[in-house]
Amino acid sequence: MQEVIQERFKISPFLVIYMVLSMQIGIGVLGFQRIIAEDAGHDAWISVLVAGASLHIIMWMIYKINESVNGDIVTAHEFIAGKWVGKILSSIFIAYFLLLALTVVRTYVEVIQVWMFTDINLWWFSVCFFLICIYIIYGGFRTVVGISFFSFVFHIYLYPIFFFNLQYAQWNHLTPIFENSIKDILLGSFHMSLTFIGFEVILFFYPFIKEPQKSKKWAHFGLFLTTIGNTILMIISIVYFSKDQLAKSIWPTLTMWKIVKLPFVERFEYIGIGTWSLVILPNVCITIWIASRLLKRIINIKQKHGVIYIVIAMSIAINFIDTREKVSLLNDYTGLAGFGVTFIYIPLLFIILMIMKKVKKK
Amino acid sequence: MKNWIKKTIGNKDSSQKDWEKVLEKSKDFSRVYYNNQKNNMRFCITSISTLVDEKVIQEEALPRLLEDEWNTIQDIKKVLPITDMEISTDPAKIEKKLLNGYFMLTIDHHEETFAFVSAQKQVGRSVSPPEIEFSVIGPKEAFVESLSQNINLIRKRLPIKELIVEEFTLGSLSKTQVAMIYIDNITNEENIETVRQRLSQIEFDAITDSSYIVQLISDNSNSPFPQLLDTERPDRIAGILAEGKLAIVVDGSPHVLIGPTTLIEFFSSFEDYFLNYFLSSFFRLIRFFAVLFSFLITPIYVAVLTYHYELVPRDLIGTLITSRRPVPLPPILEALFLELTIELLREAGARLPTKVGQTIGIVGGIVIGTASVEAGLTSNVLLIFVALAALASFTTPVYKMGNTIRLLRFPFLFFAQLWGLLGIVICFSILFTHLLRLTSLGRPFLAPIYPPRVRDLKDSFIRLPFRFQSQRPVFLNTKNPTRFSKEKASKKKDIDE
Repeated sequence: MQEVIQERFKISPFLVIYMVLSMQIGIGVLGFQRIIAEDAGHDAWISVLVAGASLHIIMWMIYKINESVNGDIVTAHEFIAGKWVGKILSSIFIAYFLLLALTVVRTYVEVIQVWMFTDINLWWFSVCFFLICIYIIYGGFRTVVGISFFSFVFHIYLYPIFFFNLQYAQWNHLTPIFENSIKDILLGSFHMSLTFIGFEVILFFYPFIKEPQKSKKWAHFGLFLTTIGNTILMIISIVYFSKDQLAKSIWPTLTMWKIVKLPFVERFEYIGIGTWSLVILPNVCITIWIASRLLKRIINIKQKHGVIYIVIAMSIAINFIDTREKVSLLNDYTGLAGFGVTFIYIPLLFIILMIMKKVKKK
Repeated sequence: MKNWIKKTIGNKDSSQKDWEKVLEKSKDFSRVYYNNQKNNMRFCITSISTLVDEKVIQEEALPRLLEDEWNTIQDIKKVLPITDMEISTDPAKIEKKLLNGYFMLTIDHHEETFAFVSAQKQVGRSVSPPEIEFSVIGPKEAFVESLSQNINLIRKRLPIKELIVEEFTLGSLSKTQVAMIYIDNITNEENIETVRQRLSQIEFDAITDSSYIVQLISDNSNSPFPQLLDTERPDRIAGILAEGKLAIVVDGSPHVLIGPTTLIEFFSSFEDYFLNYFLSSFFRLIRFFAVLFSFLITPIYVAVLTYHYELVPRDLIGTLITSRRPVPLPPILEALFLELTIELLREAGARLPTKVGQTIGIVGGIVIGTASVEAGLTSNVLLIFVALAALASFTTPVYKMGNTIRLLRFPFLFFAQLWGLLGIVICFSILFTHLLRLTSLGRPFLAPIYPPRVRDLKDSFIRLPFRFQSQRPVFLNTKNPTRFSKEKASKKKDIDE
């Protein structure tokens, strides 16, 4: 079924770049370096580059899917599989996005527990966080995009801080290039998936964009920026840390902030972690928004009520993930799910859609 | 049929006597009978003596009425020199006209027809310098309480035929005249329609000030942020009307409302346009930083000293510890105590007459401050911060926004105590969400920051010179976005040409 969104709820095409950027910059950025360097060694930056480049193909497919049915993914599912099977397919995504939101919040609280407040109460903090998300989502899609815009604008001051680390850089860590095999590099790209997933949300809010043709270039530009950003971050981590050090630090980005020396503040990572809560806020908001919107489109629950149900479910679920191993497991599963959706499901959907279009035309 | 006629005649009589009965209870209701000297006709002048100007009656109306020859009410038009005159037979108008300062003229034995002649007494202060938005350079005229005087001040500055003044009468008891002013070929139709619809749907009994109108037509009356700007300066109104906004003037209030407005406008004083663009940009930026400082510094102090004392550089921490050593209270209680003291001082100072108020302010500030440091209740570092923050919150040119900033500090303090720096960031995101959701007359409150309109940034945080201001603000969707022709304004010339 097509849905018609009124003009006053739509966003201008330029703002799509902020959605893509804010979804991709989440908690993965804090600790992805170790996992990739495990497989690809000091050629890990090539893995990042390869992963990023392949995303542009996926983005192209996403836009093609949306354009061919002129709607979001629920419409696409209905087109290829009929009403009921289409609805079942879309419901899988509700679980996917809930898993994503849960991972982001739990990992962030773990970061706070390790780095800032060791005895922060998980439940109270996550409930407060979800309440803010409810307030944002009740303001409509425009407010959600506004929050992603602001989160991007307010945290970019963190990136020039990495210049402090370049003072201690040992550029010979990068050589010799291509020492590791292609297989290792590709394995590294596979592990990169948790950091890079998120941009597929365009599939779900496509009807909310005014003049979607114009937003294509912005979405690709956003992907390009994150690819370059992550590659540079990886390079900085490789030249700064030694091989064994990198293998042992769980959050290399945060460790790199520890050596920052500013005249008015001593421990910069507190400021960084505080700002990072602003970075993950749009992640959680967008995923809950999409999940509640899917509920509305599939089962016809009002989005206002759907949000409340989702938040209650997540507040209960988050209490069960209390140890480091469970958090790590959650991250792994989410990464696998993300890889499955992004690199397997979307191309499959694209191919089936193209075939069905040709068949239905006849 | 007979019964029906009797009933209507009876009703007419009783209705006439009804209004007479109610009005006669007031001492200032006067009814004087005169005899015309030429044809000995008895006529009566009814008026409310506190509302009419006696001079007009005595010097202009009465001599002519007594000496000139006239027989019916219609002749009055030739006799009296006053132009605002109305002849009517409708008894419903009596109340409205009498209570607006008109006097009623009736001829004996022909009391169904009456004439209303205008003789309003002009009471009110004359145009004086603005109190809140005082500017060192620039015009020093401010609005007064009379509606016609205010519209006169605005029309003088924009003498074009497209300046439309639409009037509404609001308030069942106060019957306040409210005027909506806009420029016809510039302002967006949607904005005009929104204001017109909202004003005409107001249901209230006594509207005595423009701030009542603000609260009745605001998009979100639960928000502490004002969504309509108010100003006392006619030159500011002329400026914003030229941009494409609307002005709402309320009779009896020297503050005129402006809509739709944005958050940035609350930090711009009209004096910025009188100074050089470089200086005014600098002052605007200082104002922004002052506001940020004002509501962030005390929560940061509380957060850093309660949870993150490792953040403070090694040299500064010595000073902080020495100042906090004698204090038995945790930082949050110290901060709350000082903040509440300053609020008390401010509230008390606002109610006292000027002479006593100034003394109490100085005494209170200095004595209480010094005494509390010596007693060990607060640290002197915190005292400096709180005093500076209080000072900084006064830099906002609009009084309403200054009050909001005062209030904002307390949620931040609460969150700082809960989760330290993280709490401050979280409170900040709540604040931003609130501002994102706010609309002013349907237009986003945070334009031009969000939705990002780069062209409008030329007059927000900084003010670019006038030669760059050739386009009207984009977020207003004006019908005619060009202010002046840019090519004509700046011709390109080469060196020595």
